[in-house]
Amino acid sequence: MTNTTRYALLWLLLATVCLLSLLLGAGASGIQDAFAVIAGQGSDEVRFMVMELRLPRLVIGLVTGLALGVAGALLQTLTRNPLAEPGLLGVSAGSAFAVALAILMGASTATLTTLVSQTGALAGCALVLAATRIPGVGQDPIRLVLAGATLTGLLLSLTSLLMLMDQRAADEIRFWVTGSIAGKRWPQLGAALPSMALAAALVIGIARPLASLALGEKVATGLGHLPGLIRILVIVVVALLVGGATALAGPLAFVGLVVPFAARALGGADIRKTLWFCLPIGPTVIIAADTLSRLLAKPSELPLGVITALIGAPVLMVIVRSRRVPSL
Amino acid sequence: MTLSARPLSPADSGASASRPWSHRLWQPQHCYWSRFPDPRPVLVNLGFATVLVIIAGLYLATGTLSLSLPEVVHSLLGQGSAMHQFVITELRGPRLLAAMFTGAGLSLAGCLMQTLARNRLATPGIIGIDNAATAFAVASVVGTGISLAPQAMALTGAACATALAFGLAGATGTRGYRFIIAGLAIGAISGAVTQVMLSTVALDTANAAYPWTVGSLNSRSAGSVQILGYGLALCYLLALLLRRSLATLQFPEAVTTALGVHPGRVRLGGLVLSVLLTGLAVSVAGPVGLVALIAPELARTFNRPGHIPVTASALAGATLMTLSDLAGRTLAAPLEIPVGIVTALAGSPFLLWILLRKSPDIRP
Repeated sequence: MTNTTRYALLWLLLATVCLLSLLLGAGASGIQDAFAVIAGQGSDEVRFMVMELRLPRLVIGLVTGLALGVAGALLQTLTRNPLAEPGLLGVSAGSAFAVALAILMGASTATLTTLVSQTGALAGCALVLAATRIPGVGQDPIRLVLAGATLTGLLLSLTSLLMLMDQRAADEIRFWVTGSIAGKRWPQLGAALPSMALAAALVIGIARPLASLALGEKVATGLGHLPGLIRILVIVVVALLVGGATALAGPLAFVGLVVPFAARALGGADIRKTLWFCLPIGPTVIIAADTLSRLLAKPSELPLGVITALIGAPVLMVIVRSRRVPSL
Repeated sequence: MTLSARPLSPADSGASASRPWSHRLWQPQHCYWSRFPDPRPVLVNLGFATVLVIIAGLYLATGTLSLSLPEVVHSLLGQGSAMHQFVITELRGPRLLAAMFTGAGLSLAGCLMQTLARNRLATPGIIGIDNAATAFAVASVVGTGISLAPQAMALTGAACATALAFGLAGATGTRGYRFIIAGLAIGAISGAVTQVMLSTVALDTANAAYPWTVGSLNSRSAGSVQILGYGLALCYLLALLLRRSLATLQFPEAVTTALGVHPGRVRLGGLVLSVLLTGLAVSVAGPVGLVALIAPELARTFNRPGHIPVTASALAGATLMTLSDLAGRTLAAPLEIPVGIVTALAGSPFLLWILLRKSPDIRP
């Protein structure tokens, strides 16, 4: 199979998953009713369910999946570490802690939440980059991930501590902190979109310099790029993407690991190809997981973060157990 | 990499440059009294026991109703006022026992596992055994058609996770960071399963089970503490018996075999003990992280290198757990911080320090 056919098939898969996510759910209505709504007919009740409940979830899943997949691929290339994943390294936990703090202080508007979340993610990214500068740690992918997992645990404990202080905030935080895109509406999405668009523009700008940085710092300098500037820009993009996605869906671990892993396996190691392949794979993973979370425990719903952890943790094990963790 | 600069074994005197300060304080060059048992472990154990008694006294004295130390002693002897008597024997006493037992159990489990895996990060909390035991115990509490006791379920979970972690390590060995990552994944899966179960039951049940899933002494049952006490006594005695053979695991396998010790059997014995201890401790307090990492580390710092500090680990674990629960009860006074959060907050910086040092050595 050529790369182009594979790529087309991936987009086809994404389209199928999107359609299924609109058609299937916990409600009493059947598939035919939902299909009639999509075709432009159907009762008001089913129309409300599909258009007001399932469609926003689908769109948010698309945006989150795109953001997390691309952010994972960028962070992995930057740290030259196939295990560097925003969720595992503490970036998502940083933004979750920042949001929990903001909720405790009484912030409730969607715009503010997104901003706070992105600031937290930026702090997390800075910590990761600082850790890779420690001699010995930067070269050892596995130690970096363990340190990140410890940082995640520390931040989650702090978040739990905040939840203990305020019962009202706790109810708000608890469901969100396990990761979910249920019950989200258009305003939240609107608040996150501008920064996401900015990040997308930056990604288009830095893809080529980043690919040359992957060949080595001297090569990048020789080709006329500024390695320091590229690093800072990548960190900002990752923070914007992960912070935005976390504000929408809560901290979702393992998505940024699974998606670039699959993309590299299908498309090859060049960061530009990886990014192109991440575009369809990321949303597919999130939307499929979200649809599953609705169907598995039918009247009630599972948190999305649980499903992604169940999918992603075995993948992590497979990568680590392969004879040699390949460095990027 | 300075592979050649490493000492052959931890007991090798070439390691003196990297020894902690405490080993240099008192180190007889010519051991004239070598026919007598080494006095150092005894002194260290006495020191830990003294600290434990002091902290236990503080634990009994402080709280919403503050008692003075003489009042505590009187109540313990059965001569205090009815009010004090009730607070000590019904409220704080059992909780103190639970804290000491879980701390000692987790720490002993950590010490054994670190020694037999030859990896100081290989503790039940870090490689996901705590989480798996919690997942199984939550299954029995939440009730998915299984009506086994939480202890039995927690033990099953701990045994499954241990088998999985060490089984998966078959190809790569247990000494490096890779082993720990496999455990991390097991822990993540178990945590997700716990979340699944909690999110499918009624909100009240989930709220009631929540503190226990982060590690708390609040929702313990009297029966489970008793079982843990018996299990701890048994496992402690067996660990003392096993200590000599465990110490030989620090040498290359050929040396161990030549000394007449079957390495596989010793490892299996140590694993069984640590699984028992972890399962029982988790069924009392939930997954209390990092006690099992820090307490044996503390015990090793004060003992000679190469010595396996079974008693000192148990005492240090009990001390740390009591101290953490005391802090959790008193710091945010009307509120109670679950002890698992206290240990995570206090222990994570230490774990980060181990991971981010320049030296890649993680032998215990």
